Amino acid sequence: MRHTLSILLQNESGALVRVAGLFAARHCNIDTLTVAATHDPSVSQLTLVLHGSAAMLDQIVRQTRKLVDVLDVNTLSLVANDHAPLALASNP
Amino acid sequence: MTPRSPNTLAASGTHPLAGRTLSGAEVVVQILADEGLDVLFGYSGGAILPVYDAVFRYNAAHATDAGREPMPLIVPANEQGAGFMAAGYARASGKVGAAIVTSGPGATNMATPVRDAMADSIPMVLISGQVPTHALGSDAFQEAPVSNIMGACAKHVFLVTEAEQLEATLRTAFEIARSGRPGPVVVDIPKNVQNAQLVFNGDSRLPIPGYRKRLANIQQARLTDEDCQRFFTALAAAKRPLIYAGGGVIAATAAPALAAFVDAFKLPVTTTLMGLGGFDGTHPLALGMLGMHGTAHANYAVEDCDFLLAIGARFDDRVAGNAAKFAPNARFIAQLDIDPAEIGKVKRVDWHHLGPLADALQRLTQYGQANGALPSLADWHAHIARLKHTHAMNYARDSERIQPQAVLEAINRIAVGRAIVATGVGQHQMWAAQYLDFTAPRHWLTSGSMGTMGFGLPAAIGAQFAHPEALVIDVDGDGSIRMNIGELETVTTYGLPVKVLLLNNHGDGMVRQWQKLFFNGRKASSDKSLHKKDFVKAAEADGFTWARRLSDKADIDATIAAFLAFDGPAFLEVEIDPDAGVYPMVGPGASYAQMITGDFIPSRSAPTAPADVATTSMF
Repeated sequence: MRHTLSILLQNESGALVRVAGLFAARHCNIDTLTVAATHDPSVSQLTLVLHGSAAMLDQIVRQTRKLVDVLDVNTLSLVANDHAPLALASNP
Repeated sequence: MTPRSPNTLAASGTHPLAGRTLSGAEVVVQILADEGLDVLFGYSGGAILPVYDAVFRYNAAHATDAGREPMPLIVPANEQGAGFMAAGYARASGKVGAAIVTSGPGATNMATPVRDAMADSIPMVLISGQVPTHALGSDAFQEAPVSNIMGACAKHVFLVTEAEQLEATLRTAFEIARSGRPGPVVVDIPKNVQNAQLVFNGDSRLPIPGYRKRLANIQQARLTDEDCQRFFTALAAAKRPLIYAGGGVIAATAAPALAAFVDAFKLPVTTTLMGLGGFDGTHPLALGMLGMHGTAHANYAVEDCDFLLAIGARFDDRVAGNAAKFAPNARFIAQLDIDPAEIGKVKRVDWHHLGPLADALQRLTQYGQANGALPSLADWHAHIARLKHTHAMNYARDSERIQPQAVLEAINRIAVGRAIVATGVGQHQMWAAQYLDFTAPRHWLTSGSMGTMGFGLPAAIGAQFAHPEALVIDVDGDGSIRMNIGELETVTTYGLPVKVLLLNNHGDGMVRQWQKLFFNGRKASSDKSLHKKDFVKAAEADGFTWARRLSDKADIDATIAAFLAFDGPAFLEVEIDPDAGVYPMVGPGASYAQMITGDFIPSRSAPTAPADVATTSMF
């Protein structure tokens, strides 16, 4: 299953490395990663796409929420396959 | 709540130094004093010299009339020693431990203690010097990417690039270290930030809004009546309920609440390695440790239970082995924890609550007592008593060689409930966990998750600083003690009455045990019988005036008594049976039904294959 994660991150020294390092250390492969500024210069938005089971996603999201710099994590999962017309199962 | 040293408390509530100009280094020392630290551990070097000088000046200015320094800085042989001393201090006291090291190798030598503290949820703050901000990234002398390295090991790491943020960052570092699930926080401070002139605020903190919001949600979480009702409905339907208590009970200061819960509902308790002392090990309902080297009766009770309550425990692989087959008859598993990521991480649970453990246990106790009686557990208690009697811990008592278990039993007879025990990692650690009784929290200091050899001696030193009057024993092995043997000298330098017990089996015994079981007995690199070291001479060379070797079984009791009674540092090497094994043993990845109880503990099933796990996938 493919998942999209949206992470709001405090723009601190090393914050991006800590997010990327968490995924690497927990054996979770990131397919795509984009980082963008937000209207608040102290906050960055990360968008990650990865694939794996729902349990894997649940665990990596919970671990991401333990990072001190992380403000918020939201997920969007494609429940069928990549050709499914709808993205469902938003997990705030 | 921030503890403050008496000399910084002001009646008005504002900090007496607020508005004063201090150097960055002086700010560091003032925050350490405000946090209530009475000892620091660390090794100096170029990039941290301003802080070291500020510590020196603070101690000189605030010394007592007797010349006692309020915040002595204890110097190890190696920075790793300082890290484990700070961890030992934190584990024994419940307070945040602090270490201060220089940049580059000083900081990288701290990677192991920081990761160790993270894995065991120990609150610690590490302050490391760093090259000046203008030199960051230039491959400067003694530069290392501490933020990157520690970011992967610690609960959090700060690189302070703006001097104005230093004070708020340090205060926040202590807050993060001790709050929620505790852990180590690293503050990396470039040298120019240490030398900056700053106006002291006295109360500033970083906002960290995401962390604070999530923490507040968990801290405020309370069990509803419906939660309690569901819990007690399941408990009332159970005939064989069991508590599985972990290190979280100790970290959360929830041992009294657990004792009250057990007193109210009479559930037997097994504790993890990290949970030893979280429940009185001599209580009639205490089963001792569970898991890979747990007692046979505890593991059989886990097999037999139909209701399992996990408290501050995380179904670690050394406990759960084959998680799918762990507690196979439990129809209801409940979990209390402070960390959302631990709920259902390894084992699906039927009921859980996230929040402060003591509050949750008190609430459950009150609700259960107010809402009717539970069925009698007399049959289950009788079953537990039979398990404890039939499958009691035992070893080769008749052997002519000294068995390590006999040495530990001799210590237990003299020091039970009193000694603070630190260990290295390996067989001696497991024997100590099995054969010593712990009646209260923070008396058992061991590297549980990381399994770091070399932990014991420096951790014992840190614990002795936390409790100068206590009997502190380092139970060590010959492999483990070699890893930080330089710290023997630290014991005598500071005149600490630490008792160092070396159980010498001339090799890496736990490795040999695995090689015997899983590698056809090929002792690859684990045999040290040809090594030349004379440990007693080594201890004498490092200033131990009481340093002896015990090699006759008949002398165990008298020697142990003299060793523990000596008023000062003491070193005792015991020549133990090199073939002594740690049993019971649940092989890696195996189920409890496959437990090997060894030659001296009766098993209730015929021996099965050691494990149906390929040696390549074992860890």
